[in-house]
Amino acid sequence: MSAVTLVTAAGQLVGGIALAPLLPGLVQHWKGRLQGRRGPSPLQPYRELRRLWAKSGVTVEGTTAVYRLAPAVVAASLAAAVLVVPLTSRAPSLGLGHDALVLVGLLALARFAIAASAWDTANGFSLMGASRDLTLAVFVEATLVLSLAVAALIATTTDLTGVVAATAGSPVWANPALALGSLAFALVVIAETGRQPVDNPDTHLELTMIHEGPLLEYAGRDLAYLQLAAAARHWIVLALAVQVFLPHPREIWLQLALVPVGLVVLCGALAVVETLVAKMRVLLVPRVLAIGAAAALLGIAAHLVGSL
Amino acid sequence: MIGALLVAGLSAVGLGGALAARRTLFTAGLTVQAAGASAIAASGFWELGTGSSVGAAFTSAITVRVGVDPLSGLFLGTLGLIAAPALVFSTRYLQQSARGRVVAGLTSVFLLALALALCARDPLTFLTGWELMTLSSAALILVSRSADRESRQTVFSYLAVTHLGGVGTWVAVLLLAHAGAIGHPGAIASGSGVQIAIALAALAGMGTKAGVIPLHVWLPRAHPLAPAPVSALMSGVMIKVALYGLIRVLVEWDGVLPVWFGVLVLGVGALSSVGGVVYALFEHDLKRLLALHSIENVGIIVLGIGACLVLRARGADAWAAVALAAALLHTVNHAVFKALLFLGAGAFERAVGSLQIDRLGGLLRRMPWTGAAFFVGAMAIAGLPPLNGFASEWLTLQALLHVPAYGHVADGLAGAVALAALAATAALAVFCFVKVVGLVLLGPPRTPAAAAAEEAPLPLRAAMGVLALVCVVLGVAPGLLFGRLVGLAPWSAAGPTRLGLHVPGTGSLPTVGLVVVLVGLTAVLALVRGARSAVPAPTWASGQRVEPALNWTSAGFTKPLRLVLEAVLRPQREIATRTERGIVQEVSYSGSVPHLIDEHLYAPAARAALGAAAHARRLQTGSLGTYVAYLIALVVVLLAAARLGLFG
Repeated sequence: MSAVTLVTAAGQLVGGIALAPLLPGLVQHWKGRLQGRRGPSPLQPYRELRRLWAKSGVTVEGTTAVYRLAPAVVAASLAAAVLVVPLTSRAPSLGLGHDALVLVGLLALARFAIAASAWDTANGFSLMGASRDLTLAVFVEATLVLSLAVAALIATTTDLTGVVAATAGSPVWANPALALGSLAFALVVIAETGRQPVDNPDTHLELTMIHEGPLLEYAGRDLAYLQLAAAARHWIVLALAVQVFLPHPREIWLQLALVPVGLVVLCGALAVVETLVAKMRVLLVPRVLAIGAAAALLGIAAHLVGSL
Repeated sequence: MIGALLVAGLSAVGLGGALAARRTLFTAGLTVQAAGASAIAASGFWELGTGSSVGAAFTSAITVRVGVDPLSGLFLGTLGLIAAPALVFSTRYLQQSARGRVVAGLTSVFLLALALALCARDPLTFLTGWELMTLSSAALILVSRSADRESRQTVFSYLAVTHLGGVGTWVAVLLLAHAGAIGHPGAIASGSGVQIAIALAALAGMGTKAGVIPLHVWLPRAHPLAPAPVSALMSGVMIKVALYGLIRVLVEWDGVLPVWFGVLVLGVGALSSVGGVVYALFEHDLKRLLALHSIENVGIIVLGIGACLVLRARGADAWAAVALAAALLHTVNHAVFKALLFLGAGAFERAVGSLQIDRLGGLLRRMPWTGAAFFVGAMAIAGLPPLNGFASEWLTLQALLHVPAYGHVADGLAGAVALAALAATAALAVFCFVKVVGLVLLGPPRTPAAAAAEEAPLPLRAAMGVLALVCVVLGVAPGLLFGRLVGLAPWSAAGPTRLGLHVPGTGSLPTVGLVVVLVGLTAVLALVRGARSAVPAPTWASGQRVEPALNWTSAGFTKPLRLVLEAVLRPQREIATRTERGIVQEVSYSGSVPHLIDEHLYAPAARAALGAAAHARRLQTGSLGTYVAYLIALVVVLLAAARLGLFG
């Protein structure tokens, strides 16, 4: 194993698990600045995790192992997803390989676990959030698979390390297929991270919650796992965006060094979008995502026409 | 050796059926049948493993020939794998009444008919097995229901639709036999009219029996009527035999089909998978919901077959073999988890007395073993890692993704659309089975009967436990089958046997690593979390108590999706408000999502047919004079035609 592989593996593990809370922290911080407030410190998510870690969980009467295990299952599947998403094209296979469609399955497992826990507590507000999340997931998953398919077709493999290698060195705007795919992926990033205009991460009104809804009943370390998982989801989609859909160099060390830069830029972009765009009606979101899916299909068409 | 084992198994099934029809030997008979089914399973998978053929080879001649090759072996193995637990389940599920004994006896006839269709090596035997399979399943449903008008009507519409569609099967098989192509794939020229006619007839005929949209109309009506173990066999095995026929004709005997036909098959598969799961989401009867999911899964399998046809037409033989293996793997997987879910539904019905999903609830605590097995089945059918449904859906997604990689613009785009449809189907299946698991197993019991439900007896639990275990094993080690399945394509050799799925051009699916990471991390995280908890408290719903009357229902949970898809689904709802002196006394709400194909295709067709029959009836006056006049008119017309030289 060469040095670069080792460093990539370490970056993947440390970044995806320990540094991930920094990403939502940065977005919140900059959003505050853009709105003329001082905003919370970027380290705020860590403080919340520390606070939650010391508190006890909540046992809900009449629940089963499904409620008790859901946070662990969500965190475990997101951790597995962190291993699947490569940081460079030389990422080592940490027992799970790097297949793009495995990633889709792992995200679905997390969604299933948290929605089942909402049924276990029979909390109407949790169920409302879960049912909206699952409705949007239909369109998010189709768009995600199509946008990954654009990249996979260019790389002629669904192995993400191969995809990162194949898209390296050429700017995204030079390839119409990849440009359309990245447009679709941008919508997936917003939907998966639960940010405006799809969902409002700052909401305290149960009726408007999507991703936060099913978390209502949890406290203590359970909630800490779920928040860590949400942060890891930011890491996964943003790391993919940086290494597949943003311009990245061929030289591996440079590729690795530019990852933090790309992540910080994308966090800034999310903060700007969140400041400019209001949350839209939940029933309009599928239309926007359908536009993303159509863009990805056009991207595939562009690739097919281009390779004739 | 394999042949002897298979014959022994089949005779045991027949003997067991005869025994079970007797009052004193009911349980013994079913047990003998189950032992026979296990022997069939063993011989089938053994046959698949050796890769050689036993008995006669295929012939186009009209002579009775039987034999087994690896593809038949795979389907026979699946048949035994499902039938053995279903029969063990029957020992306590079927009542030892006269009706129960007849059902037990007929089950063996049904199984033998299925095996006959799979072992047939000539057109005549195949068509005999095919028709017997339909008739015996119809008889099973008729016998098991008290003869109410509605179920009789359903059975007759089942027979009518499958026989009308079945014409396609006869046309396809007889045309193949006429061309001498059964067993000799080169006999039909690629691109010829006969080839297209055979392919279209097979798609219509066998597609009807498999339940693809728009030929599915009988399936969600007929399957739920049967007793749970028979439903498991119908959804798990019978529709798979139809797919076996489809694979034989389209992939093996009919030569290389043109690209457009593969695209047509992709379209049928995409429509079936999305349509099946969408209507399942809005269904409130557990067994009907499972039957609609059979349409969805048949759609996924047909997507695999379609990808195989397109890739083969484009010369990508290696990927065509992978696509076929994906379809076959999903066939086995769907048989296992669908049988498990139907048996679970039977156990719940036995314990609660209802299959309305809004009237169950909290059964995981009342029936921990049954509930846990059902939970595994639900996760498997939802296509979640690390269970078997994920492995085959992953393979099918990969196959569809490689259609644009090898195709031109039109078929490449069709592959991409099918890929998106399958991704949406997977998400919809997660949605649907979260709903099922939540309403049936979790939360508070919704009726007193559900609150008093008792755990199923041992044979029922054992049957479901075995199937749940198979779901896990095939999820951990799909590669055990995959290597052999690749070799079932006539143009491809078997691959090496490994545990995970390793296909060039993909990031591969290391299932073992996935299981270790997911299970291990979940266990570690649960341990780290510790047991520290506050005193148990009721659910906190923003200061509101969660009352039984406020429990969420199936219709409520799926409402966002219904609103999003309103333009396509055209749901109907009625709200009637009764007011007295300005005060609302009563509000009644009813809503439904009508099946568009039933309403806009079958209902007008049925009306037109009945109207035509009414007109035709006017000819039948019953008076002898009129009939004599008809005869004379006919003779005159024929004579005139002969005089004019129309007969040459």
